[in-house]
Amino acid sequence: MAYTLTRADDAAAQQSDRYPLGERQRVDDPMKQQVHRSVFTGKLEEVLNSAVNWGRKNSLWPYNFGLSCCYVEMTTAFTAPHDISRFGAEVIRASPRQADFMVVAGTCFVKMAPVIQQLYDQMLEPKWVISMGSCANSGGMYDIYSVVQGVDKFLPVDVYVPGCPPRPEAFLQGLQLLQDSIQEERRPLSWVVGDQGVYRAEMPSQREKHRDQRIQATELRTPDSV
Amino acid sequence: MSTDATAAIVHTLRERFGDKLYCEQPTLTGMPVLWVRREAIVEVLADLRRLSEPFEMLYDLTAVDERMRSHRDGLPAADFSVVYQLLSVSGNRDIMLKVALDERDLSLPTVISVYPNANWYEREVWDMFGIDFAGHPNLRRILMPPTWNGHPLRKDHHARATEFDPYTLTVEGQDKEQDALRFVPEDWGMQRERDGAEFMFLNLGPNHPSAHGAFRVVLQLDGEEVIDCVPDIGYHHRGAEKMGERQSWHSFIPYTDRIDYTGGVMNNLPYVLAVEKLAGIQVTDRAATVRVMMAELFRITSHLLFLGTYLQDLGAMSPVFFTFTDRQKAYHVIEAITGFRMHPAWFRIGGLMQDLPQGWDRIMQEFVNWMPARLKEYERTMMENSLVRDRTRHIAAFDTQNAFDWGITGPNLRATGCDFDLRKKRPYSGYENFDFEVPLGSNGDAFDRGQLRIEEMRQSLRIIQQCIDHMPAGDFKADHPLTTPPPRERMLEHIETLITHFLQVSWGPVLPANESLQMVEATKGINSYYLTSDGSTMSYRTRIRTPSFPNLQQIPALMRGGFVPDLVAHLGSIDFVMADVDR
Ligand code: SF4
Repeated sequence: MAYTLTRADDAAAQQSDRYPLGERQRVDDPMKQQVHRSVFTGKLEEVLNSAVNWGRKNSLWPYNFGLSCCYVEMTTAFTAPHDISRFGAEVIRASPRQADFMVVAGTCFVKMAPVIQQLYDQMLEPKWVISMGSCANSGGMYDIYSVVQGVDKFLPVDVYVPGCPPRPEAFLQGLQLLQDSIQEERRPLSWVVGDQGVYRAEMPSQREKHRDQRIQATELRTPDSV
Repeated sequence: MSTDATAAIVHTLRERFGDKLYCEQPTLTGMPVLWVRREAIVEVLADLRRLSEPFEMLYDLTAVDERMRSHRDGLPAADFSVVYQLLSVSGNRDIMLKVALDERDLSLPTVISVYPNANWYEREVWDMFGIDFAGHPNLRRILMPPTWNGHPLRKDHHARATEFDPYTLTVEGQDKEQDALRFVPEDWGMQRERDGAEFMFLNLGPNHPSAHGAFRVVLQLDGEEVIDCVPDIGYHHRGAEKMGERQSWHSFIPYTDRIDYTGGVMNNLPYVLAVEKLAGIQVTDRAATVRVMMAELFRITSHLLFLGTYLQDLGAMSPVFFTFTDRQKAYHVIEAITGFRMHPAWFRIGGLMQDLPQGWDRIMQEFVNWMPARLKEYERTMMENSLVRDRTRHIAAFDTQNAFDWGITGPNLRATGCDFDLRKKRPYSGYENFDFEVPLGSNGDAFDRGQLRIEEMRQSLRIIQQCIDHMPAGDFKADHPLTTPPPRERMLEHIETLITHFLQVSWGPVLPANESLQMVEATKGINSYYLTSDGSTMSYRTRIRTPSFPNLQQIPALMRGGFVPDLVAHLGSIDFVMADVDR
């Protein structure tokens, strides 16, 4: 599996640097190199890593942050019929400092962008971003002077959920995809031991993964009856 | 609306002001439209406010860039025009005044002294068009960021983001923008201290759990007491009005859904009704009834969302789980009928997107049967709860006069005891055929605003029940050449019909040059679309007047001297969404 290595060094950022900060590069599985060094510590690290990741992915605390219509569908996912606590992500935090991930649910406005960046900066590592809805993904139907054409113009996005708005179920699927990717992540286990970079797995494209099955559909349900 | 009385008012105005009035413009807005000289505007407005049945409310204030407009026969020369729309609740009538301005002298006097709510509207006109209002206490940008260059609704301002370099944010730019958003009390004429004790300035928002979206209000606090506050909006400005100038009449419909985004097809209604006025289309009874039914269903889902979040803001965590369960049931019906949940964009110019599916009445009936017991439970457990009562009774209360001064409409106006509901006063889309009551409050406080909406849901259920019982048969689309998309059966007659069909589908219908306006009683108050057609496939100017905007402007007037928890209770009781404020 290929990984993206990020070395965050915000403190050294220049005034003219663009967000997202930090240097990124594609690398091979970091575990592989270590296994060659010593089989025993390699195995140990792998076990430790997956145990920590398992813990992280099953207790994701979302940041209570909403921009527009998509946020309504996001909150719908938090309530009884969809019940996000089945995935361990029901502990909404009103402070970015206590949250693990931020869902950019809605349109990213030019006036709001610096505020979003500020809130993101206030979140502590490890942190993740889900971009929910066409507006956050690409500007959506708002190719207009006051809208940033996608939140990834300045934030690093982990999962994109399509839809305008996406159904709550789609948001929940996005959450599960984030969990899958967290399971594959490699982060430093300590601030003194080993490599300090963050390795994110490059997850397979869902569109390609499901294409064969999707094009099998030949009959769509008629809208003429309920 | 008695037209005789309205004509009499215009007549008296003419006598009083003589040549200070230029002319009366014939339109399809359903109200007199008078062009007034700039020098006289304050006087004329003050006069209209003093009538025996006065125009109590400045309903809307906006502007039009007239420079590219081609069909202006008989109108005074103007590069820009400023539009004042007044509403008389006592006389149930409207009037529109326009002032012509020359490009080289874009200035006119402020009318805040006559109508206090002109304040934000004038700031908006300044922000969007660069028109100056002499004497305005704080004429600064309201929707766009303070660092913005240009005035977006001018015809020479670009519309698309992609006409520009892609957005980037640098470390330096971030610091600059954050600095520009910093609140400086002196800019708003505020003191930093009193008797040697410093005030605390607290930013509530732009992201705060009780701010209901991207909204910021800066509080000047002495302990828990709110000395003053400054609401700051524009974090949710999506340029919907500019969008109207570049989408065809038909393809703008989905944008209307996203104005009051909890209102779904309720938003389509004023827009398609205004377009139908321009096109001269009369829809079928079936289409009108289905529209009413779906709009009322969305009123219920919107009020349910309100109820859940209102109680949550008061600290009750569980009701939101119950109301969202109800919403899920409503969405089951909405999805079966329209194929979508929040933004169905289901109404069409001349009718609906498709007919009701078979079996709609059964699931709709299930929903109507489900709700009453729930509403009763909410009333019993929450509205009779002493904590809820203590937090909301006599909190942020205002009277009818205050509501008029600030342009408040809808449930928040009716909570003050004022019986003004457009569905009764000016029935549209066949509301005159339904049997329902208009619930009223008496204290105009945060409690009444909550209680009233529960009652409104009951009335909406009544309307839906009547739709189920008496749904008229017939076509779901009008038989008219401008109905969009045009009927397919007509397409295949010969080459002419094929070409016409092709043009109408690809470019959209061409509507005759004129102006029209339609108000509806939307979920949060009166929502209207004021459309100017220049005889083309697109709107020349689309003005969207939304009910949430005035509510936010009113906040400081209510909260001075209140406490922070009262502000939170008030914000919960207003029922606003930011898209309905900033558009
Ligand atoms: S993607 Fe659609 S639903 Fe979501 S915020 Fe944008 S317009 Fe609203």
